[in-house]
Amino acid sequence: MKITVNGKQVEINNGSKNVLEALREVGIEIPNLCYLSETSVYGACRMCLVEVDGKDIVTSCTLTPREGMSIKTHTPQIYEMRKGILQLLLASHDGDCTTCEMNGKCKLQRYARDFGLTTNRFETVSKKAVTDNTSIIVRDNAKCILCGDCVRACEELQTVAAIDFAHRGFDTQVVPSFEEKLENTECVFCGQCVAYCPTGALSIRNDVDRVYKAIKDGKYVIGMIAPAVRASLQEEFGLEDDIVMAGRMVSVLKMIGFKKVFDVAFAADLVAYEEAHEFLDRLEKNERLPQFTSCCPGWVKFVEQYYPEYLPHLSSVKSPQMALGAVIKKYYAKELGVNPADIVLVSIMPCTAKKFESEREEFNGDVDIVLTTRELVKVFKSTGMDIKMVDPEPFDRPFGLSSQSGLSFGKTGGVLGSVVEVIADKVAVKNVNTRQIFEGTNLTEVELENGKIVRGVAVFGLGNVRKVVDKLKSGELQADVVEVMACNYGCIGGGGQPYPNDIRTRTKRARILKDTQSVDVLISPTENFHMRQLYEKYFGAPLSHEAHETMHTEYRHRRRVQEKEIEILPLPTDDEDKIEVSVCLGTSCYTKGSYEILEKLIALSNNEEWAKNLEIKGTFCVENCGKAPNVVINDKIVDEATIEKIKEVALSEIRKEERDPEVSKSNL
Amino acid sequence: MLTRSFDKVEKILEKYEYKKEMLIKILLDIQHEYRHIPREVVNYIGVALGIPPAKIYGVITFYSQFSLNPKGEYTILICDGTACHMEGSMNLVKVIEEEIGIKPGEVTKDLKFSLDKVGCLGACALAPAMVINGEVYGKLTSEKVREVLRNIKERKAE
Repeated sequence: MKITVNGKQVEINNGSKNVLEALREVGIEIPNLCYLSETSVYGACRMCLVEVDGKDIVTSCTLTPREGMSIKTHTPQIYEMRKGILQLLLASHDGDCTTCEMNGKCKLQRYARDFGLTTNRFETVSKKAVTDNTSIIVRDNAKCILCGDCVRACEELQTVAAIDFAHRGFDTQVVPSFEEKLENTECVFCGQCVAYCPTGALSIRNDVDRVYKAIKDGKYVIGMIAPAVRASLQEEFGLEDDIVMAGRMVSVLKMIGFKKVFDVAFAADLVAYEEAHEFLDRLEKNERLPQFTSCCPGWVKFVEQYYPEYLPHLSSVKSPQMALGAVIKKYYAKELGVNPADIVLVSIMPCTAKKFESEREEFNGDVDIVLTTRELVKVFKSTGMDIKMVDPEPFDRPFGLSSQSGLSFGKTGGVLGSVVEVIADKVAVKNVNTRQIFEGTNLTEVELENGKIVRGVAVFGLGNVRKVVDKLKSGELQADVVEVMACNYGCIGGGGQPYPNDIRTRTKRARILKDTQSVDVLISPTENFHMRQLYEKYFGAPLSHEAHETMHTEYRHRRRVQEKEIEILPLPTDDEDKIEVSVCLGTSCYTKGSYEILEKLIALSNNEEWAKNLEIKGTFCVENCGKAPNVVINDKIVDEATIEKIKEVALSEIRKEERDPEVSKSNL
Repeated sequence: MLTRSFDKVEKILEKYEYKKEMLIKILLDIQHEYRHIPREVVNYIGVALGIPPAKIYGVITFYSQFSLNPKGEYTILICDGTACHMEGSMNLVKVIEEEIGIKPGEVTKDLKFSLDKVGCLGACALAPAMVINGEVYGKLTSEKVREVLRNIKERKAE
């Protein structure tokens, strides 16, 4: 298609969604604050105004290109308008740039500079702003410009919608429901809202000071670096062809005071190896298929909340971060002769959800601190070292060796590819064929020697994931193993990666990571002899008891909404004597008769002596709607509950307490 | 015995066939039933309709018909539209405050009255006007406002 831009004829892509994107391709980035190419068009910031055919001034993000149209992108009138918009935004903006997380990376700051706004003709007004600085994702609405990028990323890309606009007019704020702290909501901490926030309204909790404190306190500080981090660091320092970046990172960390630096790609090999065996085992027994990967903590929380029926399908192998954490604290500390309590393990990740993962109680704090790539960049920049001139140093052994497969964990398809590599080593594989089947979803068919075909799906972006899981549920799609990464393009697009973190950058990072991978001499995880040694020394074999103890975990049902239970029949008795019975009053359970159960329970407690110690509560949505009605008795879910079933479980709970009151007390 | 039953909410949801697009209707009925939108109910209908609670919270806080804190048994809407304003409706706010002790946006301790200032009631010919539980009182004077409020107070006392 030919259009005229600023008086010159240009050829634009016929498939362009709108004029803004079309002009991007010909080298004009129209100023914009609310345009995200992956989501629906919002058209709210009005910065992307262009003049069409010499008369109308319209937003280019909502304008469909048409043959022969004439666009002017920068007339004096448009310049004035943009300036006005910026001045209005700045009038209610907390402009304390030096203490802002986004200082130097902020789009608003950049435009203010580019448009020469050294003074503002409007008086500054401050608005009531919600802040949340205790969650992993920090919110400061005084810096919010209401572009809605975070809202759309959360709702449209991730289908979580933990945040939305609330209130109206000047009072409008982006907040979770009832202005709750994010950690108490359905937020999965993928950090995509942070990745897309053009200002400093959303940022990540900075844990750098904790690392310095550990070093100062004389702790044995060990670092480990995720595959995706090196790719974005190369980009951040403008060293895109610098394949030894990882080595330079090791050097800098050692100079700062880290005692050892390991490679999470090693752990990726370990996890792929264990997970492949777990998969082959399930395949043989034909149980809990498809097997879902569990390396991505955002995805894990997503399943726990939305698809609890698939929890048994998750691979029980810990993520690379947590697996290596356990190995270091349990075995390596002994080898070193250092008390595990004196080791501070710092994991460097592209991911915000990894902070959440490290704090999950299942993992007893094996990983002490998680730094995101952006925090690492700050550490590096604050040293003043010219990263180009730092001599690379190899990762420490034994957890420094990795294969190409392990490195590929950083991007979509990497985990699945590694699992396939291990399988190929165990069983003869004839053919491997990968193709895209839906948006963000690839299908890999592995044809085994015996003619059997193993189907693996790799999907990224939780919105795409939801579609895939629903298709698996309905039977429209068949798969044996599914790799899930919550962020678009995988970990390289994680919420902790440097800005900009858009499609263009993510594709570039994938290429950089591939280049880095290609120099690795080991291809399959099975070739990683340090990993094999670990098995020989401690685990014996994959899926052994010891391997289970150290590297496996289990996940739990998690309610989307954290809420107190409703007291229906409170008991005056001491906590240890009573049996808690919570009846779900959610819609599914209600329609399956949970109210009748409640009535019967109350009658039971009034009429029968043994039932006096039942404390009856109302709860709602235990996220097990398929098997309604649900009743929870002392943390045990009784599904498809009848009063008889409840009686049985409650009686057995009472008997258990009578038999061994001490044990039941300590369980409480 | 049930301190809070979702029975009523279920009845409302049933009435609108659990349709997402009926959210505002459902919320209006809930507001009517509870005189506010309780937080548990937001979470409850969020799960029932498949709408994230943050979105419902956005709707509730956008429209002034909905409130997060209980409104009084009698909701007084005093008009501050141009016509009423010119006719001195803001003086009437002071009269109401003297009479029942609350300012716009507040509720009496006994939850009997709540007072809100609104843009325009569409009753400009009757300026200054107020609406109490759907009933319009026009051409108000200080005396008339006192009388209306006292009547309501007595009504319940009987």
